[in-house]
Amino acid sequence: MLKYLFYKGEDIPSGTAAVYFGFSAITWFVIGTGLGAFNAAKLAFPDFVTGLEFVSFGHMRQVHVHAVIFGWISMAFAMAMMYITPALGNTKLWSEKLGIWNAFLWNVGLSLGLTLIWSGMTSGREYSDFPWFIDLYIAAFIAFPLGLNVWMTIIHRRTQGIYTTNWFFGAATFMLIIVFIVGNLPEFFHLTGLTEAYLTWWFAHNVLGLWITPVAAAIAYYTIPKVTGNPLYSHRIGHLHFWSVVVFYSTPAAHHLMSAPLPEWLKSFASVEGVLILVPAIAFVSNILLTMQGKWNLFVENLEVRFTVTGCLMAIPLNMQGGFQQTRAINWYIHGTGWIVAHAHLALLGFSTFLEAAAVYLGLQTIMKRKLYSLTLGNIHFWLLLIGFTTYWVSMTIAGLIQGAGKIYEVPYIDVVMAEHPYMIARWIGGSLVFTGNCFWLYNMWMTAREGTVVPEGRMPHELAYER
Amino acid sequence: MSWSFDAPLRTLSDKPTTDYNEKLWEAEDLGGITEDNNAVPAPVVWLVLLTVITAFAITFPLWGQRPTAALYQSYVDSMDKPEVLAAKDDADAMAKIVAMNKGTSKDALLERHPLTMDDLRMIRDQIKALEAKGVDMRDYTVVGDQVVLANFEGNYRPDGTRIRQQPWWDKGYTIDIFYLSYFFLAVFLMIKRLPPTSWQPVHGKH
Repeated sequence: MLKYLFYKGEDIPSGTAAVYFGFSAITWFVIGTGLGAFNAAKLAFPDFVTGLEFVSFGHMRQVHVHAVIFGWISMAFAMAMMYITPALGNTKLWSEKLGIWNAFLWNVGLSLGLTLIWSGMTSGREYSDFPWFIDLYIAAFIAFPLGLNVWMTIIHRRTQGIYTTNWFFGAATFMLIIVFIVGNLPEFFHLTGLTEAYLTWWFAHNVLGLWITPVAAAIAYYTIPKVTGNPLYSHRIGHLHFWSVVVFYSTPAAHHLMSAPLPEWLKSFASVEGVLILVPAIAFVSNILLTMQGKWNLFVENLEVRFTVTGCLMAIPLNMQGGFQQTRAINWYIHGTGWIVAHAHLALLGFSTFLEAAAVYLGLQTIMKRKLYSLTLGNIHFWLLLIGFTTYWVSMTIAGLIQGAGKIYEVPYIDVVMAEHPYMIARWIGGSLVFTGNCFWLYNMWMTAREGTVVPEGRMPHELAYER
Repeated sequence: MSWSFDAPLRTLSDKPTTDYNEKLWEAEDLGGITEDNNAVPAPVVWLVLLTVITAFAITFPLWGQRPTAALYQSYVDSMDKPEVLAAKDDADAMAKIVAMNKGTSKDALLERHPLTMDDLRMIRDQIKALEAKGVDMRDYTVVGDQVVLANFEGNYRPDGTRIRQQPWWDKGYTIDIFYLSYFFLAVFLMIKRLPPTSWQPVHGKH
């Protein structure tokens, strides 16, 4: 793939950038969850690896968070965009070379950024911990080239209409650039105090709401109709979903700061909008599940459909939690506790990861024209991911409720720590299962590239039987 | 692309526009993916409506606020009662204060925001000073050991001072109503421009 960086010809194979992004994403997933499992071990066993500053929890937590968000999740999104956007427009990617450069610069920038925050050079702003020059790098060399390729591919499509998935892709790449530039203004211009706090959470909320959530959903809009062969159930629900994401997800940033001295009217406004994120969730889940009509056997038989429907079902608890936990009625209790950590993992490791894993499975097999090397390894990956995530989510939710009670009733901190200890061990076990599953996945995809059964021209990988 | 308002709940497009859209819909193959023209199901419409009502109902500012100075006025007054002064220790004194102030409309909030005798000692003089000034104690909140003017942007009183109390409704909700109305109107117009739901595409027909 790297040989095409300076390639002069026009015949770069279609899908090269997608494959580059796909394998990068899986590798970052292994690294990110490995770091997560290591960090969880430090919380479960306080004497585990002590005395080294660079592996202290305070240094490594941000590296884990940014590796999975900007490495795994975002590169898997880019992978999906590189092959789904042209496919839906019956055309080729606008610039395969730009895509390859995009993937290369993405890996370089992310490696540099993670090294810097690991070494302690950080903005100290949660979810936007990268120093200001890395933020600019991401906007200029990661987000903008990705958006340009997506927009130009959509413009040069050979269809008259634009399918729902591409609405999301086109809009989300645009919104990501805006979110990155505006959300990081406090770092560019040294804004402090409440302005910084608000923009920090405006950034964090919108990276979730205008990037991760819509793109993950957009992928499902492709995967389910493509694999099942069913038409998307309702174009109208697609409209309701898309516009409600744009309108309701972009506004509730203030609900992250319900106890801050922001204007109360802003909190009231944001809190109502926060509950209304259930509108796109209802639209999304209903549209995908109704599209599955008559093909529910694929939920059992097909790996990509199983990943997608599982991720889709996770949108229900995700948005029920997200919608209500930010209200004044609940936020006072769970704010600043492990409940929020559990919720963040439900969004990123549950809902979003399952949807994009399906896209990476489907995309890599389709582009490389190779059937998945081992269904057994795929199944092991699915179950380790599901059991590991569920263990993590349940244990951290319980730990969060304990912390909430401890906070409100002013229980001595050390007593709360002791009460949480079993759940910290469960968290570590869950995270380790996820990490192990991802190692299997990387091996499986690597072997697919090398030894997967060749898919004949004109056929889709899911139409062929597995051989192992 | 002309509009028709003859049957707005059915479609807002005129016949030539609808015919054109139907033909395109049936002919178009979006990378092997097609779409149906099903209506937004009634349960989804009801769920969305329920979500909107719930969003307002649950976010009214009933809970989660900082305690006001007014909340602890009766506690501060009770500190000088003989039975409290005769208590054997601080815990006993606080228990007595809590017991003698039970049975009022403040019970739930006092339970939400419990204090110790040390807390009360720190805010006592500040609350007394505010009482002496004759201000509305509900305009002040207790933040740790400080009794401070609340940051709510309430309306002005006739004397020019601001009402610093959390209202049950504020302009955030008013903005929400307009915002929501625009959204639902725009989405309604958008989906009603499509061919009526009584028509379903036969994919690949053209």
